[in-house]
Order: sequence, then C-alpha cells, then structure tokens
Amino acid sequence: MKALEIQNITKTYQMASVEVHALRGVSLEIKDNEYIAIMGPSGSGKSTMMNVIGCLDTPTSGNYLLEGEDVSHMGDDQLAEIRNRKIGFVFQTFNLIPRSNVLHNVELPLIYGGMSASKRRELAEAAIERVGLSDRADHKPNELSGGQRQRVAIARALVNNPSIILADEPTGNLDSATGEEIMQILNELHNAGNTIILVTHENEIADHAHRIVRLRDGMIESDEVTK
Amino acid sequence: MRRLVYETSEAMKIALSAIWANKARGVLTTLGIVIGIVAVVATMTAANGLENSFKESISAVGSDVVYVSRMPWIIMDDFFKYRNRQPLTLKDAKKLETRLASARAINPTTSTRRDIRYRSAKMEGVRAVGTTDKHIMVTTALPEYGRFLNSIDVQYKRNVCVIGKEIQEKLFKDINPLNKKIRIGRYNYRVVGVMEKQGSAGFFNGPNFDRQVFVPITSFMKNYGSRNRDFDIAVKAPSQEAMVDFEYAVIGEMRNIRKLRPTEDDNFSVNQMTTLMNAYDNVMGNMVLIGLLITSVSLFIGGIGVMNIMFVSVTERTREIGIRKAIGAKKRAILIQFLFEASVVCLIGGTLGVLASIGVTELINAFFLPASLSPGIVVVALVVSAATGIIAGFIPAVKAARLNPIEALRYE
Ligand SMILES: Nc1ncnc2c1ncn2[C@@H]1O[C@H](COP(=O)(O)OP(=O)(O)O)[C@@H](O)[C@H]1O
Ligand SMILES: [Mg+2]
Repeated sequence: MKALEIQNITKTYQMASVEVHALRGVSLEIKDNEYIAIMGPSGSGKSTMMNVIGCLDTPTSGNYLLEGEDVSHMGDDQLAEIRNRKIGFVFQTFNLIPRSNVLHNVELPLIYGGMSASKRRELAEAAIERVGLSDRADHKPNELSGGQRQRVAIARALVNNPSIILADEPTGNLDSATGEEIMQILNELHNAGNTIILVTHENEIADHAHRIVRLRDGMIESDEVTK
Repeated sequence: MRRLVYETSEAMKIALSAIWANKARGVLTTLGIVIGIVAVVATMTAANGLENSFKESISAVGSDVVYVSRMPWIIMDDFFKYRNRQPLTLKDAKKLETRLASARAINPTTSTRRDIRYRSAKMEGVRAVGTTDKHIMVTTALPEYGRFLNSIDVQYKRNVCVIGKEIQEKLFKDINPLNKKIRIGRYNYRVVGVMEKQGSAGFFNGPNFDRQVFVPITSFMKNYGSRNRDFDIAVKAPSQEAMVDFEYAVIGEMRNIRKLRPTEDDNFSVNQMTTLMNAYDNVMGNMVLIGLLITSVSLFIGGIGVMNIMFVSVTERTREIGIRKAIGAKKRAILIQFLFEASVVCLIGGTLGVLASIGVTELINAFFLPASLSPGIVVVALVVSAATGIIAGFIPAVKAARLNPIEALRYE
C-alpha cells in the first residue's frame, strides 16, 4: 500500500520582488511502513517538503495524494482535519504546550479530533507508556529534560495512530546519547508498523532509516534504499 | 457537535490557565469593565428603588379611579390655557353621581393648608383635606388604628379628623392621639383615627400623603369657607378593565354637566394614576439614559483595554497557536479559545463590578432611597460583561484563528 505519493510538486515563495523556488518539481512515492530519511544542505527545501507532506502547506503546483486522497487543493480547515487524523509531527524544538502537563499534551490531538474523555485518557496513557514516561504523566514540560520532552512529542505524534510520522530534525536539540534514545523509540515505532519520514543532516541519524532521499536546490538529487 | 463540546471545554481550560498565569494583568485590564458594571448596576438599582418608592407613594391614588379636576396634574403645555377655568363644585359632583350609575363610588375632596397644633407642638402648612366617608373606597389607604370618617360625621358637620402618620409621629410622639383635640387653623378637631404610613414621593416634589389631615367635607366648608373652593372628584370605575371606556363616559357626562357644545374644548381635566406613571416614566427614562451613557462609555473603554490585552495574549502565544493548528485545531477551535479568554476576563471584571455594586447599593440605601440589588440586575450585569468580552475579543481571536501554522511555529 502507498502511504503517500507526490507528483511534480513545486513551491514558490513570492518575496518582495524576487520569486524563491523552494521546490522545483519533486516526485516521490512512499509506501506503508517505510522508514525514510530526507537529507540535503541547508536551504535545499527539506522543511518546505516536510510542510507539504505534513499538510501544513499546499504546493504551488503538482499533486499530493495521501492514502489515495488528493490533498493538494484543500482549504485550511480540511487540512487541519487531515493533519489531525493522518499525520503525527515531531519537531526539533519539541513544541509542547508549556502550561499543560504531559497527559494533556498527548491528549490534545484527540481533543481536536472529538474523542470522548475516557477514550482519550486511555489512548494517551498507552502512548505515554510506549515512550516510557508513565511516571511523568502529570509533569509540566519545564519539569522534564530535553529527551523526555521529545518523548512526549513522540507520544503526542503517535496517539491518534497516524498514517505517517514526520520528524523534522528530531535530535537536533539533543546530545548524541539522548538523540540515540529517541532514535530507538522511532525504530520501535517503525518495527511496530508505522511509516516514518525523518529530516536530518546527520549521517548517523540517517543510518537508522531504510531509504535516503537527498535534496539539492529544491530537487531530488538521489533516492536510494539503504536496507 | 461532540467535537465542539470538547473544543469548548478545552478552550475554557486554556482560558482559565492563561488568565491564572497573568492574574495582575487580568485584573487591571478589567478596571474599565468593573466601572462599567458598577454604573449599570447603580443606574438600574437606583431606577428600581425610585420606581418602587414612587409606585408605593402613588398607590393611594388607586389604579381604577378617575379624578376630575380643574387642572391637569401634570401640565406639559401652557399653564395659562387652564387658568381661567371655572372651579369644580360640589354640585358638579352631585350631578356626576346621579348620571354615572356605573361608578362604584364618587368622592369629592377639597383642601387647604393650615397650621396644626397639639398643645405646644405645632406643624406648619399641613394639607387639610375635606372629604367624605367614601374616601377609603377610592384610595388604598386605610386607618392604622381608630377609624376613618363616617357618614354621620359628614352629615352632622362634626369636627372630627383622621391624621396622617407623620402628623401622629411629630405632634404626639408616644402619646395615644385618639380622642385628643388638635387645632387645625382656628378650629378644634377631635382625632378619631390615624392613617397607615404611605411613603412619600417627596424626592419628586410630589405630595406627601403622610402629612395630611382628613376632616368631613361639610365641616371643612363651614369652618374654612365654601366660596370659590375648587373640588377634585374621585370616581371609581366599575372595574380595572373598564377604565378606558369609563374615562370617556366620565368626560362625556362632565361635558353634559358643563353644557359644552361639541366644538368646545373640555373646561375640566380628567386625571388618573397612569398620568403620573407616564410623567414618571418620562423623568426616569432620561435618568436611565444618562446612566446607560456612562455605562456604555466605560464599557467601551474597558472593551478597548480588553481588546488590547487580547492582542498581546495572541502575540505571546503565537507559537502555541501554531502547535495547536499543526496537530489539528481548526480555525473555530482557536477562535473559541480566545473569545473564551476575553469573556472570562470580562466576567471576572463583571463579578468584581457586582461585588463593588453591593457596596454602592448599600450607600444608595443609606443616603438616598430604598434600593436593592435584584438577581435580575446581577444577571444582566454578568451577561453584559461577557458580551463585552466577546465583542472586544473578536478581532484578536480572528487574528489568532487565521494565523498560518508554519509561520506561527517559527515565531520566537
Ligand atoms: N516562508 C518563506 N518565504 C520565503 N522563502 C522561504 C520561506 N520558507 C523557505 N523559504 C526559502 O525556500 C528555500 C528552502 O527552504 P527550506 O525548505 O527551509 O530549506 P531547508 O529546510 O532544507 O533548510 C530557502 O531558500 C528558503 O530561504
Ligand atoms: Mg529546515
């Protein structure tokens, strides 16, 4: 099964006088349960591509099919709905809600998905357990270490059982030992059947993936299966 | 639908924790709202208090009674139009009585001002009212103790009187006034009853019904003269419902009695309680308008303050908004969140305002007039403050809802 397919995607930013071509015709097919790393120098378009794949942004041209559904022309609220049901984000800067505790942070996608409180709690606790933070469920983010925060973010990303988990430089703000712990969790998720797309510029991190796509100047330079 | 419920409860939690995190700011922000709410409550409480004491004081007029008089009670136009009218006479009253069979009671009265004395105690310029035993049929006032004038008093021109509550309090203090002799002007009268307290419309310069003394109309005319006396004729309608028709009947019969041709204007006036109520509503309408003006100005200023603080709140939490959008919050969810925050801030202001108003009401009570803070007013105040929050929070909330998630996430 195809998890997603992008066809000849371009993204052009209109600056004051110049046009910035962040993506210039990118096509890519990702199957279910792939573990794929997107690499490339700074400014090559990695984040732009992640935003399009994560339905945070729409392409200037080209098509994007997510689980067979064309999402390239959807409006804001429709995209929000798609993100809520099909995408799990893990950010470099964790992006947790500071005033909410771990449990509430993890529950949040389910709240916006309209799930009942008891069901929510059950799923959130299970997700927290999977990242090994059950004893921290009532802690606030500022009471946690960086690695723990990123684990909360992963729990939040997987709680709604998304089609794909997108991780944009998930270890960028962590020391290498902690980063390795986080990668272990992502590996486990992959083994459990999740589709994982990872952006990184570190080779050791990319080594965890089974397929590496390299971007340069908004185009795919290489696409190789490594495992 | 269910999702909306969860979004709303989430919005409420966020709003409360956001406000809790910025307590001092929230309280300061609401100052304008507090003042506005105090103004609303004070206006409405005072208006209520005035209305109650006004209604109480005119209740003696009787809502199903038509008063025929030479002058209108409230003169809106040219006074000189009425000045040359002939006084109403006792004969007019008699004729009216024979013609208006449907009237439940007809009572003529006339009055004058006299000093009254009991031993060395004295009250100046008290209204002495000549009336009949029918008096208590056309008003709601009853004697507190003793009795009212009866038909024998009237028939035999007896020098007996019934005094108002204030007169009893001032002239007699602790002494039982019954069967005591008082002087009304130059004549001695024996007190046979004391009227119950009626309250006064004094703050309106209206009549003070507790400061009058009733004597039989016959003895009144014998002692104080009947020439050129002007009478008021109180006519009690067959029922409350028949008031409108009855008023026309009274006017018609009076025109017959006065032998007016169809082209001539009435040369008498017909008054009733609603005349007073309308005049009162006029005055009150203006007062309430002024109160509402103060209110809306301060609520407006308060609202601007809240809008300002909400813009700050949205900016401070740009990143949080980005996170929420990224994980699936729709525009609506973000909008509700900030509308909630704004209205909760305002509700806090409203609550503080209501608390302050309790004090203000006590002050009005102590120094001005009987006022009470009704639950209705409290509800209105809270609804108004929440509405102010929703209005003031709307533009900032829309701004938040429209934020681009990518830019919001990148915001430092
Ligand atoms: N919102 C934006 N407005 C204008 N230009 C942008 C915007 N986002 C990205 N770009 C430009 O698009 C190109 C690709 O950026 P990005 O996808 O962030 O690269 P990477 O993540 O690989 O470093 C860069 O030249 C960047 O300056
Ligand atoms: Mg980037």
